[in-house]
Amino acid sequence: MSGGTLRARGGAFLAPLIAAAVLFAAAAHAQKPIVVGASISETGPLAVDAAYHLKGIQLGIADANAHGGWLGRKLELKLYDDQSNPGTAVRLYTRLITEDKVDLLVGPYSSGISQAVAPLMNKYEHVTPMPGASLPAIFSAGNKWAFQLLPPATGYLDGMLPMTKAMGAHKIAILQAQLSFTLACGQARLDQAKALSMDVVYSTTYAMPPPDFSSIALAIKSANPDVVIACSYYPDAVGLAQALHRIGYAPKFFAETIGPAEDQFISALGPITNRIVSNTSWWPSLKTHDNAGFIARYKAMFHEDPDYHSAATYAAMQVLGAAVKATKSLDQEKLRAWMATHEVETVQGMFKSGPTGLAMGFEQYMFQIQNGKRLLVWPAKNEQAKPQVPYTGQ
Amino acid sequence: MNLDARQVGQWIGRRLAAPSSAVAVGPRPLATAALVAAIACAGAVPLVTSAYVLQLATDILTFAALAYSWNVISGCTGYLSFGQVSFFGIGAYATSALVLRTGLPWYVAAIIGSAIGGASAAVLGTIMLRLRGIMFALGMLGLARILMVVSSNWDFIGGAAGLILPAQLTPVAVYFAMWVAVLVAFALNYFVLHSQWGLSVTGVRDDEVAASAIGVPTSWVKIIAFILSALAPAAVGGLVAWNRSFLDPPSAFDPTLDLQVIVFALFGGIGTLWGPALGTVTLVIVGEQFWAYLPDLQLALYGVLVIAVVLAFPGGIVGIANKFGWLRRKPVAAPAAFPVVARPAQLATSGNDAVIEVRDLTVRFGGLVALNGVSLAVKRGEMVSIIGANGAGKTTLFNAITGFVKPTEGGVFYQGKSVSDIPSHQRARRGIARTFQIPRLMESMTVWENTLLAARNGKRAAAAVDQAAWALHTVKLDSLWLELPNKLSPGQQRRLEMARALALDPTVILLDEVMAGMTRNEQGEIRAVLRHFRDLGVAAVAGVEHIISAIADISDRMIVLDRGKKIAEGTPEEVLRDPAVIESYLGKVS
Amino acid sequence: MIVLQLVVNGVLLGGTYILLAQGLNLVFGVMGIVNLAHGSIITVAGLFTYWFVTHTDQSPLWLIPCVFVVMLAVGAVLQRLLLEPLAKLGTRRELLSLMVTFGLSYVIVETALNFFGSQYVSLPNLQETWSVGGLAINEALVAAGVLGALISGCLHVWLHYTPSGKALLATSQNATGAVTCGIDVRRMRGISFAIGSALAGIAGVLLILILPLSAPTADTLTILSFVIVALGGLGDYKGAVYAGLLLGLVQSGVGYYLGGDVEVVVPYLLLITFMVLRPQGLGQAAR
Repeated sequence: MSGGTLRARGGAFLAPLIAAAVLFAAAAHAQKPIVVGASISETGPLAVDAAYHLKGIQLGIADANAHGGWLGRKLELKLYDDQSNPGTAVRLYTRLITEDKVDLLVGPYSSGISQAVAPLMNKYEHVTPMPGASLPAIFSAGNKWAFQLLPPATGYLDGMLPMTKAMGAHKIAILQAQLSFTLACGQARLDQAKALSMDVVYSTTYAMPPPDFSSIALAIKSANPDVVIACSYYPDAVGLAQALHRIGYAPKFFAETIGPAEDQFISALGPITNRIVSNTSWWPSLKTHDNAGFIARYKAMFHEDPDYHSAATYAAMQVLGAAVKATKSLDQEKLRAWMATHEVETVQGMFKSGPTGLAMGFEQYMFQIQNGKRLLVWPAKNEQAKPQVPYTGQ
Repeated sequence: MNLDARQVGQWIGRRLAAPSSAVAVGPRPLATAALVAAIACAGAVPLVTSAYVLQLATDILTFAALAYSWNVISGCTGYLSFGQVSFFGIGAYATSALVLRTGLPWYVAAIIGSAIGGASAAVLGTIMLRLRGIMFALGMLGLARILMVVSSNWDFIGGAAGLILPAQLTPVAVYFAMWVAVLVAFALNYFVLHSQWGLSVTGVRDDEVAASAIGVPTSWVKIIAFILSALAPAAVGGLVAWNRSFLDPPSAFDPTLDLQVIVFALFGGIGTLWGPALGTVTLVIVGEQFWAYLPDLQLALYGVLVIAVVLAFPGGIVGIANKFGWLRRKPVAAPAAFPVVARPAQLATSGNDAVIEVRDLTVRFGGLVALNGVSLAVKRGEMVSIIGANGAGKTTLFNAITGFVKPTEGGVFYQGKSVSDIPSHQRARRGIARTFQIPRLMESMTVWENTLLAARNGKRAAAAVDQAAWALHTVKLDSLWLELPNKLSPGQQRRLEMARALALDPTVILLDEVMAGMTRNEQGEIRAVLRHFRDLGVAAVAGVEHIISAIADISDRMIVLDRGKKIAEGTPEEVLRDPAVIESYLGKVS
Repeated sequence: MIVLQLVVNGVLLGGTYILLAQGLNLVFGVMGIVNLAHGSIITVAGLFTYWFVTHTDQSPLWLIPCVFVVMLAVGAVLQRLLLEPLAKLGTRRELLSLMVTFGLSYVIVETALNFFGSQYVSLPNLQETWSVGGLAINEALVAAGVLGALISGCLHVWLHYTPSGKALLATSQNATGAVTCGIDVRRMRGISFAIGSALAGIAGVLLILILPLSAPTADTLTILSFVIVALGGLGDYKGAVYAGLLLGLVQSGVGYYLGGDVEVVVPYLLLITFMVLRPQGLGQAAR
């Protein structure tokens, strides 16, 4: 046996070993998952809606993994429960960033909790889509790292006044619950009324939990508006509708924000809900990017229909995916720079970010309850049915 | 049906201060060392831990500061408040507005915010502290709600949309600021529980009426305690707002904050020095770990905890520790041994001949006429006994003289001057001392402290310790000086009441049935003191009495009341033979 | 006309308030127990009614007698377990019962949260509005008002004209005296808390027809009930009637003329004002 043959034999053994080692290392690195972190209100008063919020994220991750993940790596969810408490959420997001060192973050459910954690994103320079934050104030000057993944609250029901004006309405009553986003919405509607030269004959705010609406309803009746817009949450939406019904007054046009989207709204009030208008940021009938596919896969995974919360978080995952694939990295600054300057088509519409992270591209739609069914009525190009007037309370 | 602070005092007193096991005299090197170690550790936290633990520690400090402040008004003063978050919110808004509008550095703004919180407590206290018990608790809750609505409508501070606060604080800065807040709150607790002035607070809690009778200016004490309880929350509110970079009415006046604070303080031991800290640290840390397993039951567990503490161990952790002899409260200003009594005997200063005089005094309670045009005088150098059948109006007379009842007609004169406009605690300070028909002693304070409190508010306040020692020595309670009142026999309790009266260095003492419930020996001891009252510097004594045999021979004069009217006056021999007097007691012999 | 409608609304609203408060009044008046769990009992009863109606499609009015009986039993058990141990502590029991029921309220709310969720719920029944001479009168409000009046009337009759009721009154005025008259004071306490809980229960059954209820906001009802009870003079059920009516009328007027934001603080402002000016409340009995 000559030395050359030995070396050759050794090389013959070594080469596959080395190749195996390299492959193994590559595989090991490839198997290290991309960790997506979030704190969701799994318990506490916000839990019911937050469940939809969470499922959108889970579907987003499952879909990404079904296509081999991002950058060749699978996605994994690191989830905490903030118990619907902003203080807890702050602590948990701090933990996600500093201790768990997750690769990507998704924001929590609700404007209130988003508001509490948004400063953390700027403090730790971690890019985060916020699909729970409709409040524009969160995305103010000084914010670079949080991106809004819902249309801003100021746009809620922005179609109502143009639509009713075209049908001859002049006088408006506006009510606002004293919560930041309903106030933002209400103020935007008041400004819009002025711009459209419509008369605001009555306006009031009320604290939450809501008071009894009998006197307010009487005051509305005395002012006799054509349009009543309530920037409300659920219990006040119910209370106001009931109160108007009790005094036998029905404005020609009646719109409320958060309440009517809930199934319980219709079962709780019955025929009173007929022809009430409300707003939404997403609808199953929309022909947005992959909407039908999203609905089908969601149904298959969770055995129920998605709602606009799930659409928002799923859109957040779509945006993150697009950014990661485009920049081919998980570097926070690169992702941020990309998200600040690019548009992404999502199930919720066009993601496009303003200079402070405010969402500029999403549209607002309005639906109307017609005989127990909810149908999109605005804008005209998306309508499933023509808006029915007047509101009769029956 | 009046739920008042007295019940808090009795509850705390009876639970925490088990017989001398709760009260320990002497230096406390172990406790001091523990405190220093805790402060040192707290300072080191930011250096050695992660951001997550720092945030947790900051939260613990925040709650501890709030729990200590709640403890001041609710535990130490006995005015249970369900709305201390009002000051948290006021401080948050004050601090935020200051920094946003004037650009002051945040720590300066926090101090000013704290001062504003204190000032608002002073103003609000004048209204709210008129309420007692459950009404005060609910009133404070209502106040928090009102403040939330007011701030929602006030655009200067952002209205319901709130204020955005640009990031100015690093987490470490917030941590240390909270640490300072806790130290301040702890120091205030220490002041209230261990200083001589603080005895007034405990006195108000244990028995506001009795406190007033021994000269404590209860209204002032309550307002000061209320102000002290607002300082830390106001500062903390500002710091929390800046840490969150956002402030709006619901987060400023969040009622669940009050709930948590109450649970922490209660669990640790309400009204104690260490309770709030122990309760907060334990429950926040336990909560973090334990409730991860049972997240849906967090509030229920809080509720169960509260019930368990109240039913099984109302003294909280500190109460349990007390049973083992730890964390016992040290009595205030108590020397290592009973002081040597150095006060010389003295005669009363001279003055007006009629020490106490009532003229045409009438007191009506609705339709009932308790006193009807009574005129009498207690003269310098004499002991007067006032007797009469039940319902004669004797105690009402004393109440009118000492200012606890307002006369419908007529006047009360002390040393020749009218005292109608002078509140009861002032009358006590000027020298009108009284005892109560049923002894009203401060249950959570030792015999020594009960007496010292009176001495501090009397005419010899400058030498209060000596005065208290002298008073106790005079009634022969020296050996029991560190006992708690519930360990004393009824007779000893009455002697303690007498000691309190003497500690005021009074000009006149009004004794309300002091002989009741005493053994012959005890009566003898009191009689010995009364015989020589002139040597004690007391100008006159008036005693309401049923046990006539005990006072007849030591009284100079006797007055008889019957159904609100004076029916006889004279020496005891004359009066006791008066047929009208006999008839009022025994009825007409037909 | 508007004024008349406001008055009618105010009176009906007042009736609802009376319904809310009478259970609390009985408990406080007789036992000196400050029941902070009152609102949570009302809420649980209301949530249960919602569950019952949506699952069985029956009228909620069937539940009134059922809930009454069930809450009688539950109230008796709670009283024996949690409050009876405090009874022998004399005057301190008021403060301690405050704390115990404070804890109890959170236990009840959390349990309700787990069973019924955290959402606001309401029922569409009894939504009919009758038009009487131009005035709109709502069925559900009338039902609540009538029941409130009925309960107050029954309480009056029971407390003043029946032996058991008089025994209860005696216990509330002087427990020691009642014992010497041979009254089983312990049983009286149990009865009063049981009835108080039962009244809270049926208040909840009706309330879900008028307002949306949710587990997390149960404490608002407790506070409102206390304000009414305090305004009326603690323990004085006649005073509670006056207070409920006053509150209803003032809220009705304020809501119309001054708007929704002021309306919500009316109870607290009234409470603080009265407590400072007339602490014994509106009723005759000053305790």
